[in-house]
Amino acid sequence: MTNLSELETTPEVGDEKLSPAGAATLIADFVDVLIPGERLWPSARTVGVQGQLALRLMEERGKNALPALVKAIEAAGGPLGGLDEAARVAVVRRFEEAEADLFGWVRDAAYIAYYENPFVAEAIVLTGHLYELRPHIKGYPVQRFDLARDTPRHGRGRYTKTSDVRRVDISRLDLESNRTQAWGLKR
Amino acid sequence: MTKSQDCDVLIVGAGPTGALAAMVLAQGGLDVLCLEQGAWVEPGDHPHYSSDCTWQRRTNWSSDVNKRHHPDDYPVETNSSQVLMWNGVGGSTNVYSAIWPRFRPSDFRKGDEHGLAPNWPISYEDLAPFYEKADRLIGTSGLAGDPAMPPRDPCPTGPLPFTRAAGRLAEAFDKLGWHWWPAEAGVISENYDGRPACNGCGICNGCPRGSMSKFSISIWPKALLAGTRLRTYARALKIEKGPDGRATGVHFVDRNTGRVEFQGAKLVIIAANGVGTPRLLLASDNLANSSDQVGRNLLHHTLVTSEFWVDEPIESHMGYVASLLGREFAETDVSRGFVNGFQFNCLTNTSSAGEAAAGWASNAKAPWGRGHHEWFERHFSHGIGVHAIGDDLPNPNNRVTIDPAVRDSYGLPAAKLFYQPGENDRRMMNFMLDRLEDIAKAAGAFDYKATDYRDENGVYRTPAWHMIGTCRMGADPERSVVNKWNQSWDVPNLFIVDGSVVATGAVVNPTPTISALALRAATYIRDNFRELSMTTRPMAA
Repeated sequence: MTNLSELETTPEVGDEKLSPAGAATLIADFVDVLIPGERLWPSARTVGVQGQLALRLMEERGKNALPALVKAIEAAGGPLGGLDEAARVAVVRRFEEAEADLFGWVRDAAYIAYYENPFVAEAIVLTGHLYELRPHIKGYPVQRFDLARDTPRHGRGRYTKTSDVRRVDISRLDLESNRTQAWGLKR
Repeated sequence: MTKSQDCDVLIVGAGPTGALAAMVLAQGGLDVLCLEQGAWVEPGDHPHYSSDCTWQRRTNWSSDVNKRHHPDDYPVETNSSQVLMWNGVGGSTNVYSAIWPRFRPSDFRKGDEHGLAPNWPISYEDLAPFYEKADRLIGTSGLAGDPAMPPRDPCPTGPLPFTRAAGRLAEAFDKLGWHWWPAEAGVISENYDGRPACNGCGICNGCPRGSMSKFSISIWPKALLAGTRLRTYARALKIEKGPDGRATGVHFVDRNTGRVEFQGAKLVIIAANGVGTPRLLLASDNLANSSDQVGRNLLHHTLVTSEFWVDEPIESHMGYVASLLGREFAETDVSRGFVNGFQFNCLTNTSSAGEAAAGWASNAKAPWGRGHHEWFERHFSHGIGVHAIGDDLPNPNNRVTIDPAVRDSYGLPAAKLFYQPGENDRRMMNFMLDRLEDIAKAAGAFDYKATDYRDENGVYRTPAWHMIGTCRMGADPERSVVNKWNQSWDVPNLFIVDGSVVATGAVVNPTPTISALALRAATYIRDNFRELSMTTRPMAA
């Protein structure tokens, strides 16, 4: 459980290289590399993802997280302002490789902030989906269960009745061993 | 410290089982007081009405007690688990998903079946009437007639919509020749008991409408109308035992005033969940623990999860989150190389576009940069999630203890969890992962991702939605904490009614079974209160 008292609220985002305005521009450029505008989709910067991201980064990871993000992008080759697209992508790629945990957190937070935006929600609708930013209010029109149409007819399935439970032979399972060390997805 | 007049029954915890017990006992004419460390959670408090719902569900509304900053919570140290818990009226029904399957008869007889887990002191048949009663009280939906389960009464409301995701899954299961059935849910498909039917919004982590049974809406009003007194912001600190061996009451702190009080009672019920209950007992001078089983045998279920995506849009962001249950592998078959079974909890997909891009059940993420939107358009509303959830074997080393150093703001020791899957569990999860892939292939998926919940160091960091088994029920006082009526072997007027009493975890979400057990125990207490309020005979004697 995070101690709220540790989450101070006024970061110092500017540094010897960047003013606060420069740092804000750097974050805006960064989110635009993550989610560029395409066809009907607005870019992340256009819908203000950088502002949400900065606030949430500070609220969840503390005062120093936002300056740390700025410095991490700088360390990877930022600011991004004067760079062409390929160079911007290369900077972000370096940041991703060097600071995987911070990058992952920021990427996810940027995605969520982006798709919470009403202009983006409208773009989702234009791709052919019924989509609501706040679906709980009115719900979605989902077809009711039709007993004639939807009831399973396969007849499969069994269960063991209480009176039918019998001892199984586990002598060959060797469950006392600890041999299954390679388990899960990496086997 | 102040002392109040004794009540008949004092309940610690206002979650689902505390609510049900309070209702039964107050309706039976007893003077019932319930202490709840948290608050009421009003419908408007939930994130469902906000555009930033997804973010809130990951932060201040996370079901994981360690990911939010909520003053009602207490510290839970853990080596691996993501602990689902909500400390407030209604408990974890404020954030759960209410998938509502029952245990099966063989789940109560694992001692007979293989001996690596105990028999319960009761059978499925003992519990069945209380499953039916709980369903009617809570409001459930589903379809009777599943050949993979014992016969049952119809649910109070019919099955929830059979979504396109369900149809696609059913085709895949048919191709594999495996069992499937529409999911039972603690969600009403029609207006019921003054609550509105599910509107298919898809945000199934709690439900402020009350379509999903949030016990502060479905049960607590009944308990209060019957006369239960509910005291919120009242954190239990210690259960007191008298010289005659009976519980005399509970010391608690009023969090509004900071004042420590003592509430006496003729009978004490603990309903503080599989973590909170052992924590309180251990912090109460190791109360009710002559067996040394308090806190041991923590069960989380074996769990692995997949997502797959199909070509045509299936509107999988709409509708109740669970679609089908697959019970093909629910019984033991040792030819698979392990004992016990598992179930498929088939889902729809996330209702949130942000979550679809940032990672949901399998944590599959959209790429960044050019190509992001192409991925999103191909995947959003095309995905289906499937959990494989299995019966992990009890292990006394998997346990809840109290931390010797870390304490909450009132001086109560933090709970400390240790959990590690055993040999049988690991084999089962390997088998489960292979079967999940079978489903994706049978469904014709163009993309597939699974998770085994192991981190970069190989630690199984299970989403511990289920925390059960830590004060288990049994027939032997030396190997269990409570008897078949949820009554402490050591302290005759102390009952435990939450999920800590289950002896085995089965292959399903436990809240239906925990609810039925609580109803059964409360009915017993009501019918035998006079004797229970006086006896000093330890049940273990």
